[in-house]
Amino acid sequence: MSLAHESIASLRRRLASKEIHSRDIVRDLLQQIDAREKTIHAYTHLDREAALAAADKANSSLPLGGIPIAIKDNLNVLGDPCTCASKILEGYKAPYDATAIARLRQAGAVLLGRTNMDEFAMGSSTENSALGITRNPWDSSRIPGGSSGGSAAAVGGRIALAALGSDTGGSIRQPAALCGCVGLKPTYGRISRYGLVAFASSLDQIGPLTRTVEDSAILLSALAGHDPHDNTTDLRKPETFLTEKSGSVKGLRVGIPKEYFIPGMDAETEAAVRQSADWFKKNGATLVDVSLPHTPSAIAVYYILATAEASANLARFDGVRYGRRAADPRDVLDLYHRTRSEGFGPEVKRRIILGTFVLSAGYTDAYYRKAQKVRGMIRQDFEKAFASCDLLLTPTSPEPAFKLGERTQDPLKMYLADVFTISVNLAGNPAISLPCGFTKSNLPIGLQLIGPRFGEEKILQAAHAYEQGHDWHQRLPPA
Amino acid sequence: MSAPQINVSDVASLARLTLTPEETAKFSSQIGQILSHMDSLKQIETGNVPEVTPPAQPNLRKDEPTPSLSLQSVLSNAPAQANDLIVVPKIVE
Amino acid sequence: MSSSSKWEAVIGLEVHVQVRTRTKMFCGCVNQYGDPQNTHLCPVCLGLPGSLPVPNEEAIRKTILTGLMLGCQIAPVARFDRKNYFYPDMPKNYQISQYDDPLCAGGGVTLDPFLFPKEIQESDEAKAGRKIRLVRIHLEEDVAKSFHFEDRSGIDFNRAGTPLMEIVSEADLRSPGEAFSFLGSLRQILLAGNVSDADMEKGQMRCDVNVSVRPVGQKEYGTKVELKNLNSISGVRRALTYEIARQIAACEKGEAIAHETRRWDDEAGATFTMRTKEKAHDYRYFPEPDLLPVRTDQGLADSARKLVPELPSELQTRLARDFGVTPYQASVLTSDRILCGYYEKAAAGTPNKALVANWILNDFLSTQPDPSTTPVRPEFFGELADLVAGGAINSAQAKKVFTELMASPTSPREIVKKLGLEQISDSSALSAYCDEAIAANPRSVEDYKAGKMNAINALKGFVMKKSQGKANPAQVDEILRSKLSA
Repeated sequence: MSLAHESIASLRRRLASKEIHSRDIVRDLLQQIDAREKTIHAYTHLDREAALAAADKANSSLPLGGIPIAIKDNLNVLGDPCTCASKILEGYKAPYDATAIARLRQAGAVLLGRTNMDEFAMGSSTENSALGITRNPWDSSRIPGGSSGGSAAAVGGRIALAALGSDTGGSIRQPAALCGCVGLKPTYGRISRYGLVAFASSLDQIGPLTRTVEDSAILLSALAGHDPHDNTTDLRKPETFLTEKSGSVKGLRVGIPKEYFIPGMDAETEAAVRQSADWFKKNGATLVDVSLPHTPSAIAVYYILATAEASANLARFDGVRYGRRAADPRDVLDLYHRTRSEGFGPEVKRRIILGTFVLSAGYTDAYYRKAQKVRGMIRQDFEKAFASCDLLLTPTSPEPAFKLGERTQDPLKMYLADVFTISVNLAGNPAISLPCGFTKSNLPIGLQLIGPRFGEEKILQAAHAYEQGHDWHQRLPPA
Repeated sequence: MSAPQINVSDVASLARLTLTPEETAKFSSQIGQILSHMDSLKQIETGNVPEVTPPAQPNLRKDEPTPSLSLQSVLSNAPAQANDLIVVPKIVE
Repeated sequence: MSSSSKWEAVIGLEVHVQVRTRTKMFCGCVNQYGDPQNTHLCPVCLGLPGSLPVPNEEAIRKTILTGLMLGCQIAPVARFDRKNYFYPDMPKNYQISQYDDPLCAGGGVTLDPFLFPKEIQESDEAKAGRKIRLVRIHLEEDVAKSFHFEDRSGIDFNRAGTPLMEIVSEADLRSPGEAFSFLGSLRQILLAGNVSDADMEKGQMRCDVNVSVRPVGQKEYGTKVELKNLNSISGVRRALTYEIARQIAACEKGEAIAHETRRWDDEAGATFTMRTKEKAHDYRYFPEPDLLPVRTDQGLADSARKLVPELPSELQTRLARDFGVTPYQASVLTSDRILCGYYEKAAAGTPNKALVANWILNDFLSTQPDPSTTPVRPEFFGELADLVAGGAINSAQAKKVFTELMASPTSPREIVKKLGLEQISDSSALSAYCDEAIAANPRSVEDYKAGKMNAINALKGFVMKKSQGKANPAQVDEILRSKLSA
């Protein structure tokens, strides 16, 4: 069997025993890529020779020694482009490594290529990429989800073992659910954001997309921990996750938030998620009904705060110091206007305008400040819920992958796809999405487990136990 | 209360964007819709919501120098440069 | 009544001060000027995608220190905000600043009379010693420096991201002289705390001025005009003098004052319209999400408190009380802490402290010395003062000693010996001179004995002449009187 189908955990063991070499893994992956990438288009940039050369130098005694990892194209990697799937970063080469990249290097990982995304991580379908669309490996007429759609499609399509993504409102979990892989959004402050091109600073987190829950824990262990370059990282000591696997959910109190089972959601999705809840109950967990009453406000709060922050974060793309500059600008104002109007795609422009508006004189109180307050209430909702349960169980997405082009003209409808993932970013909690079934038409369905802040170990243990009881993660996408 | 009339072109200009007439029309209606959705927040009573409390341990930086980028690395990303300066059209106040 | 006395100026200042630190505000790049262009840059201060700011603890401490020196309230929790506007000298197109929760609020600057312009130091307004209230002090990052060429501009980003304090006054100032003293008094405090070199001519202290005029007695403010391009403390005074006169003249003609920003042209000695303020900036401030709030109440404010120096006003009081110097001398010493330290050493071992002040502030200072490196040890001035006060040398001789002291610094006692200026205090030698004087001046002796006490002066003069001025005058006086009354 191709090494491209194995988990990191298993490959680590085989590498350590010298049974295989890192180059073998990269070679097998490149073979898969040759076969599938034309259809999927998960990668924006892939340097085969560099990956093979790095594999040759890999030190298999390190925690990720020789393990190839794909990187979302919004993380700075020294000497490489970092396009954010935008025209505006044309020509930019990163003069530094993101902390997450530095930590992967320290752990011995081989960097395999850059994955496609919605421009500046703004979107839920990867259709907002200036570098072309990515297709869902389970059905190429459908979207892979977004914004980490390239990472999810690569992992789900077995053309990457694992990938880094970023999650601002669901951008790791939703595509992971739609592509049949495991996606983890850690607690805000768990992984340094230094070097991750910011979309919404108070919501963004880097996280792994993997085949298995154990692989997710392995990557989280390598990435987590305080970084002096990121003021918002937590100061607690580094942890290693899932070192001992309980394999059991006995005694676990699983909260089922009633607001996450809404009228109009996809019936197959709801059924699969309810069955998962039953599995927990059958295996000794207690199901607890909980309420997160401010859930219906989450989307409004999110799109106010995220766009407000983005409007400032994206102001630096002005053609002065790096990236694309409009030709022959008349004056500085013309340089700004034309560089930005030519360089940004429609969704990015829409969000910048919205974010600028909610911060503008006369509207700050009604929108930005109000949203900050409601965000506080959403956070309180979670704190209250976790008083009576250990974790929350919900669907990741209200529906499986939709058709390409279906929502591009209706941004509001597109935004509603994030309804189950967004609150978690607003509250700062960790959450994991893992496969919990397939629709009749063979589309993956994702289960979301949400933990209390810094409760990654809890959700990883529960997710791992669930995964052991099922074989969804072993199912292969159609060739 | 209905959403405010947003002058999309003016706001775009604040963000240094110039929109085509088509974009202006499209964004006006889309953003109008989104703002109507956002107006649901006005119904929520937020009187006594506590501020997010800052962590006890201050995460500050000691005043100790760290290496800077090389001039070459700074200038190589610049779209226009001359005499070690990054060049822009003439700035007039 | 002159027309200008019917009008009153209302002035508020916004003073930007570069904070002296080793590194920039939000990154570890060196905070230093005059180095090769674009060499103190990293992803953070160049605003590269993905970079994040981390606040410099020392810059925060120095801002708190400034607040403590100026009597401000220190916020237990301060926050940073983003101020959004596009400008090529600003890498992120937003400035990290403070809006709702600045580090310091309130406080004030007391106007030092001796820091008014020289010619009005004796005026009532100078002597009033008014306290100008402050609104706030906040900390932010500086912008880059632009160079303008014929058809384009070039930017050196080295200064971008260096720490900058903004000190905002209430509109309490009423004259150009007060503004002048405000800046001087503030600068003195900043220097005392080692917060900044605060030299306006080097751009380390920059000042925006808001000024309006109103009829005396009117409560409402007039239309305010902002002045820019003020590059020295005296420039601020000149610009204000011009602008206030311009506004009064306009008001008297019944013209409206435009709400605008005007540029001071130092060469032309006039202000010119830069831009009108019809379209106000919309800075869209919001809390900086990349930074946690800064807690000052868990050690940071205390560490700043330990750095609070003796303030200029305290030093002046102490100098007057313990050293007996004049208020003017106290003010001169306060404005030069190195000289003051030198003086304090010089005066330490002598009771003649005021005399030492005279020597140092008149004679020594006129040689333009560098008190931190001069080979003239401060104790020498104490010695010199003692020699004069003890009568060992007279003041004319003291001048000679001083000149020699500057030429080849060594102990004044040694100099006195070397120059042969030692007074004769040996009573047998003096007695011999006195006998000689009595023998040679019978007329004066007679006059003295007849009750003309002044006649003794002729005898004294004889002794001094004979002794080439070295005789101790007090002793001579005593010996002569005893001999004549015998």
